[in-house]
Amino acid sequence: MSVTDLLWRFPSVQMAWRNLGRNRVRTALAALGIIIGVVAISSLGIAGVALQQQATTDLGSLTNEVSISAGPDSTADGVTDDQVEEIRSLAGDAAVVPQKSNATTLSARDGTEAFVRVTAVRQASALYTVSAGDSPDRLESGALLTGGTAERLGIELGDPVEYDGRLYRVRGLVESSTGFGGGSELVVPLSALAEQEHYDTVTVVAADGDEAQAIADRLETRFNEGNDDVLSVTSFASTQESIDSFLNTLNLALLGIGSISLVVASVAILNVMLMSTIERRGEIGVLRAVGIRRGEVLRMILAEAAFLGVVGGVVGAVASLGVGLVIFQALSGDPLLVFGWPSVRYLLLGFGFAVTASVLSGIYPAWKAANDPPVEALRG
Amino acid sequence: MAKMTVVELEDAVKRYQSGEETIEALKGVDFAAERGEMVTVIGPSGSGKSTMLNLVGLLDTPTEGTVRVDGRDVTDFTEDELTEERRSGIGFVFQAFHLLPMLTATENVELPSMWDTSRDRRDRAVDLLQRVGLGDRLDHTPNQLSGGQQQRVAIARALINEPKILLADEPTGNLDQDTGRTILDELTRLKEEEGIAIVAVTHDEQLLEYTDRVVHLVDGVIQE
Repeated sequence: MSVTDLLWRFPSVQMAWRNLGRNRVRTALAALGIIIGVVAISSLGIAGVALQQQATTDLGSLTNEVSISAGPDSTADGVTDDQVEEIRSLAGDAAVVPQKSNATTLSARDGTEAFVRVTAVRQASALYTVSAGDSPDRLESGALLTGGTAERLGIELGDPVEYDGRLYRVRGLVESSTGFGGGSELVVPLSALAEQEHYDTVTVVAADGDEAQAIADRLETRFNEGNDDVLSVTSFASTQESIDSFLNTLNLALLGIGSISLVVASVAILNVMLMSTIERRGEIGVLRAVGIRRGEVLRMILAEAAFLGVVGGVVGAVASLGVGLVIFQALSGDPLLVFGWPSVRYLLLGFGFAVTASVLSGIYPAWKAANDPPVEALRG
Repeated sequence: MAKMTVVELEDAVKRYQSGEETIEALKGVDFAAERGEMVTVIGPSGSGKSTMLNLVGLLDTPTEGTVRVDGRDVTDFTEDELTEERRSGIGFVFQAFHLLPMLTATENVELPSMWDTSRDRRDRAVDLLQRVGLGDRLDHTPNQLSGGQQQRVAIARALINEPKILLADEPTGNLDQDTGRTILDELTRLKEEEGIAIVAVTHDEQLLEYTDRVVHLVDGVIQE
């Protein structure tokens, strides 16, 4: 059985197909309107997704971290050992990394100088990702240095750096711990700042942003009763959340703009369907005269509108996929990310909107044609 | 063949509202068509011929009076019920053929029964086209057919649902004499072989040679 024979079992679809084939230019233009609408919705949606993914990547590991330092109401000049223990008990499985900070100037043999932040920490691996060398779980000797600084000073792995009168061998080159890039940092064992009693910062590294936020909330409740601010607790999860919510708003706005073009397209379909049913008024009168039911005429014309929507939707979705590849290539360098569910969702959304808008636009012309009294219609 | 009334108008009145004035197109018409007869309605234009044919074809309902099909009163039928009556019992042949240009001859013949998936309409459509002498034109579209061939396709289409009555509105109006004659021969054959009642409306003198009965309609009144 051929495709035509199969189609013939669905008379409304078959008739719709034949009718659309009669005026191909008009059909193509109507479908083009839908295609543009789908591309507008889908590619703007995908652009939003790409922006959001890129923002998340840029914020990097910060979002699952909670940063704790002494607040204005603290009696100590830092975070005490007792407080660190309590933080550990409240943090559950999350890594709790107390740090002491200072600053110094490193100089190279050729006299180049670099001002660096000094962070004394034991569990360096929780905070730093090395690009060369290693990042020890327990930093007892040696130091880590930000890659850019090492390059500027001509320091290589294994070279010594001097801090506070002592020499530390550079055992790892790291990215700066702040995801925002830049910054020169020297990471040394806690023993280097032994004379400082309290910790300047405690970083809690949680599994994800939600857990980080939960830990931050528990710490707030425990340490800062009422208006006290014994410990200042900063969670980047909330930053991420506000960025997310901004991007969501932006995305909705983009989708709104995209939808307008689809509304325009469906008005065009309404117009095309209305014109073509008015042109075919006599023909529809013949159909009704020879006993075609009103519902059958209605289905036939709805099928025409749905056809326009399906064809426009499919072509539009494919075109949007192309646009998405370009967007992802430009923003993140990995065009294949467009095949992720967040993007594909917008392709489906665009397609769904196209079919829905087309069918809705077909309802009035179809209803009008189906309910035209046959005598009037035959008169033309 | 026993006399059997297929369709009947009784004291049918049809009024149209045209702007301020009311036009009375039919002023109490009594009409009946029997099995196996061919009735021709003639009259000047504006005499109400088309209006009468619309009533007989259940395309329209009378303002007053009664319409019966097979003795059943269908005057107060809804549009959907009338559609079913037309579908099952009435075939139409129009002056301008009114075939659908994007369908082949076979598909045009199938058209009235296209939404009935139950019956084997394709075979019947082919059979009907063969009977009207178009067995070699099955897959031609209307613009590949002559006027006479198109009208024969239209007759085949009118017969697909095995109607009891066939209504022909100027069936030879767009055809030359010889072609018109073949169409009229075809109709005569249907009348005699199938016992179908044929009601034709025409200006064509030629048609009167074939008809069993002539009804004159003047100003909405039948003058036998």
